[in-house]
Amino acid sequence: MNVSAEALYVEPTLRSARRPLAGHIARSLLLILLAGYTAFSAGPFLWLASMSLRTTSEISANHYALPSILHWEKFPAAWFGSSYGTYFLNSLEVVVAAVIVLTLIGAMAAFAFARYRFRMNRVLYFVIFSTIIFPPQITIISLFQVLVDYGLFNSLVGLTLVYIAFQLPLTVYILESFFARVPQDLFDAARMDGYSDGAIFWRVMLPIGLPAIATTVILNFILLWNEFLYAVVLIADDAKRTLPLGIQKFMGDQLEDIGMISTGMMISVIPVVILYVFFSEKLIQGMTAGAVK
Amino acid sequence: MKRAGAREDAGLRTPWLALSGFLLPALVMYAAFTAYPVARTFWNAFHKVLPNGNETWVGFANLRAILNNDPTFWKAVGNTLAWALVSPVLEVSLGLLLALALYARIPFARFFRIAWFTPVLISYVVVGILWMWIYNYDWGVANELLRLVGLDAWTRPWLGNPATALPALIFVTTWMWTGFNMVVLLAALSSLPSEVLEAAELDNCGWGRKLWFVIVPLVRPTILNLIVLSFIGKMKIFDLVWITTHGGPLWSTETVSTYVYKRAFDWSTFDLGYPSAIAAIWFVFVLAGVLILTSLLRSRERLEF
Repeated sequence: MNVSAEALYVEPTLRSARRPLAGHIARSLLLILLAGYTAFSAGPFLWLASMSLRTTSEISANHYALPSILHWEKFPAAWFGSSYGTYFLNSLEVVVAAVIVLTLIGAMAAFAFARYRFRMNRVLYFVIFSTIIFPPQITIISLFQVLVDYGLFNSLVGLTLVYIAFQLPLTVYILESFFARVPQDLFDAARMDGYSDGAIFWRVMLPIGLPAIATTVILNFILLWNEFLYAVVLIADDAKRTLPLGIQKFMGDQLEDIGMISTGMMISVIPVVILYVFFSEKLIQGMTAGAVK
Repeated sequence: MKRAGAREDAGLRTPWLALSGFLLPALVMYAAFTAYPVARTFWNAFHKVLPNGNETWVGFANLRAILNNDPTFWKAVGNTLAWALVSPVLEVSLGLLLALALYARIPFARFFRIAWFTPVLISYVVVGILWMWIYNYDWGVANELLRLVGLDAWTRPWLGNPATALPALIFVTTWMWTGFNMVVLLAALSSLPSEVLEAAELDNCGWGRKLWFVIVPLVRPTILNLIVLSFIGKMKIFDLVWITTHGGPLWSTETVSTYVYKRAFDWSTFDLGYPSAIAAIWFVFVLAGVLILTSLLRSRERLEF
């Protein structure tokens, strides 16, 4: 009796005495581990950034030194001297055009699927949605044939059209799930006020759906900016290359010029970094949409 | 998912004109650049398709040739399946551990979250070139680190050796996608009811048990989605391989995607039918894989309750 009472009394104090120290050690270990993983995860990118400001001879002398002199002149050199400017503008043209059209027709379709009752609604939605899991090989060869038939092979317009179709399922999926959750009262009220279907879409759905639309815009921009397979099959001329193709070509031609390759890669990464700095939360939401249920 | 009031204004007539206005552009794009090409790939699979547009019916000859005597195809299938089965395990389990670390309210959580997510935003082309340098024999970080800790014997040209090339590339995709998995799992964890976790705390079960018996079952739907996503991503992987190894050395990193590309556009075989048949077979493989994975993981879920 006495013993057990003592045990009851001692144990909590022992525990509370042990906890903070063990807790601190565990926490510090955890932090070190996480910092290590962060270095692993972000390190290659920082290395790239540092090399983009160093010349190839400086890099060869020591691959891991920080830039001692910042060679900003490498950026105009890559832009004007190695046609990265052309590649960048091609990418920008294709991606911006694709994203604008994609957002518009994707939002319209999502609105129809989310807010109208009609036969085939779920069937059509499922058909479009299921394309998300298709491997691109199932369309790549025939798209090559189709674009040749339409006279759109090796043209930025053709690539833009393919990109629109390629990202359509994801866009419709993200927007539909958002649009469907908006309360019906808003639409009923708009209809009472005499809004047409088109006006309801423009003046009620789009403004309310703006957060989801912004997510798809940023997400599509980055995914298409980085796209490689369709571009490599559907574009042939150097003057029409997008950035990923341009980098690959430059790498093939100038294998040893690590400094300039880094600068070119940095040019392609900078727009993504800028978007990420301003919209990291939106982007993370977009990329994780659907994976969390 | 809540669908508050959606599609409930059935009392009104369906405004077909407006509806088709909303749907047609998307459906036309879908039909022209997705549905039609998919159908045409299946059509190609049964034909010999010459570059001048000449198509001759060959029946099942392509499919038989691929399945019966194309060792390169089977090598590519083996590599791709290995990638698609190993990657999800690595990415999701590492992602879960990191997410738990962040969930335990460590300092700088926001910073970590943003830093870990970055690799997934960079294109495979840039990632591929960077990792070719990291794996460089003479000055790459991988070998430099090994030399630093005195393991000189382990240094090797990681991507130039048939034994290590595929694992090295799997490592790259793991580096790239773990952060993504972590962020998704963190979102799932944060939406869990805190009482459940507190109850597990009070029941005094250890960390491992709590993880396996409480947390994992609760976020199982998310884990399932991530596994399927990662599986699909690796079943179609092309860019990274194309930039780094082109499928070599000795077919050791050949994937189905790179093989299809080579047969269609790289080798002068002048037949788009055969690679289309590979694509068609692989399409069925991917669909079957997704269905099997989903049903396996779902039925386990049902058994538990």
